[in-house]
Amino acid sequence: MMNKYLLGTLCTLALVSTGILSTSAAPAPGIELPPLTQPPSTEAHPGKVIWADLVTPDLKQAEDFYAGLFGWSFQPAEGDRNFAVATVDGRPIAGIVQRSMSGDHKRQPAWLPFIAVRDVGAAQRSVKANGGKVLSPQRDYPMRGRQEVFSDPDGAVFAVLASSSGDPPDVLAEPGEWIWSSVLVKNPDREAGFYRALFGYEIFDQDSEDSRKHVILASDDYARAGIHALPDASHRHPHWLNFVRVEDVGVAAAKAVHLGGKILVDPRPDRQGGQIAVVADPSGAPVGLMEWADTADQSDAPGAMAPGTPQVPGATPTPGTQPAESP
Amino acid sequence: MSAPAGCRMMLRISAAALLAAGLGACAVEGGGYDRSNVGVGVGVGYGGDYYEPGGYEYGNWGPGYRVGPPCCGHDRGHDQGRPAPSIPSHPRAGGGGHGNSGHAGGGGHGGADQGGGHH
Repeated sequence: MMNKYLLGTLCTLALVSTGILSTSAAPAPGIELPPLTQPPSTEAHPGKVIWADLVTPDLKQAEDFYAGLFGWSFQPAEGDRNFAVATVDGRPIAGIVQRSMSGDHKRQPAWLPFIAVRDVGAAQRSVKANGGKVLSPQRDYPMRGRQEVFSDPDGAVFAVLASSSGDPPDVLAEPGEWIWSSVLVKNPDREAGFYRALFGYEIFDQDSEDSRKHVILASDDYARAGIHALPDASHRHPHWLNFVRVEDVGVAAAKAVHLGGKILVDPRPDRQGGQIAVVADPSGAPVGLMEWADTADQSDAPGAMAPGTPQVPGATPTPGTQPAESP
Repeated sequence: MSAPAGCRMMLRISAAALLAAGLGACAVEGGGYDRSNVGVGVGVGYGGDYYEPGGYEYGNWGPGYRVGPPCCGHDRGHDQGRPAPSIPSHPRAGGGGHGNSGHAGGGGHGGADQGGGHH
């Protein structure tokens, strides 16, 4: 005898499933995100981290923390009062959105980096063809562009963004701005291949004083991110870690604690010659702190590269590789 | 034993709804929800409610574990035989400004690029 309760459950499941899928297919969210660059530029820098979002259960707490730590200002995004856009000197650099964690204590907030692409559809195909996963449907924001969230073969989550206003210029990050990104993974070699196929990166092995694999990903002849083997003793899920430039890592780390955060990795010297540290905001989201010597002599060698990095269209591909977003 | 007609009808409706849902899932690439142990949901208005797996102790970075970018081009790429490049170094103000590259002003960066043509 068919149990009527079972039938009812099936009906409910079917309707709920249909509702969820309808929601995820929504092409035009009712939120207006500001353009990445204003006025619009024609620059395109595939592989460059150009934005970051944080989903947090307490927007006000996050605003207070990041304003106090980095001097960020905030303005609400149109169409969603739970979404704030962080700016530095009027330039939008990040988004913070408040969403409930639904009592799931096995999860924690984390910054989600957005990496520049020309074609989100091509990026998606590359992700799927090279062992990654699609985690959310493509989204179009009128002034921002098209974006999509993926995970790499190791499970580290990132997003891609085809900016409708061009990509931000390649300039030295100022204090308070994102300066660097790393992805800490279990299989750096496989990951390097994945990201190379997706963004057309050049791959540079790094000398290291430990026995771990460290790789630099470069595009436009600039270092864009690092891939690092997770420390053996770490049980951390593979993840992206994004760094903000600060004047003094020690001072910033202490300030983070004063603001309700905590230190995850104590200040320590790194390969760039300055200190780095990792702190967690009050909700637990890790964020890196990095010093960078503001000296012109560490750069600007004549003839390094012709002025003007790849414009739209026609990026310079890595030798022997073809970035996913190229036709 | 057989289900009453009403129940059979409900079952058909349920099956049809599930089939429609399944087809919808195929139409929406990626499905939109948790394909891994990472929470990426679809919120109202914002398409990327991202939470990481939690409960892990962070850190355990041993001595020599370095995650920053090279600054002076002393690390060599194994393919190109030339140093890894560094991050953009041109300042925003006076360096070409918006809409131009960090290479503007005769720049580039290079400590990183000696010895290697660009691509």
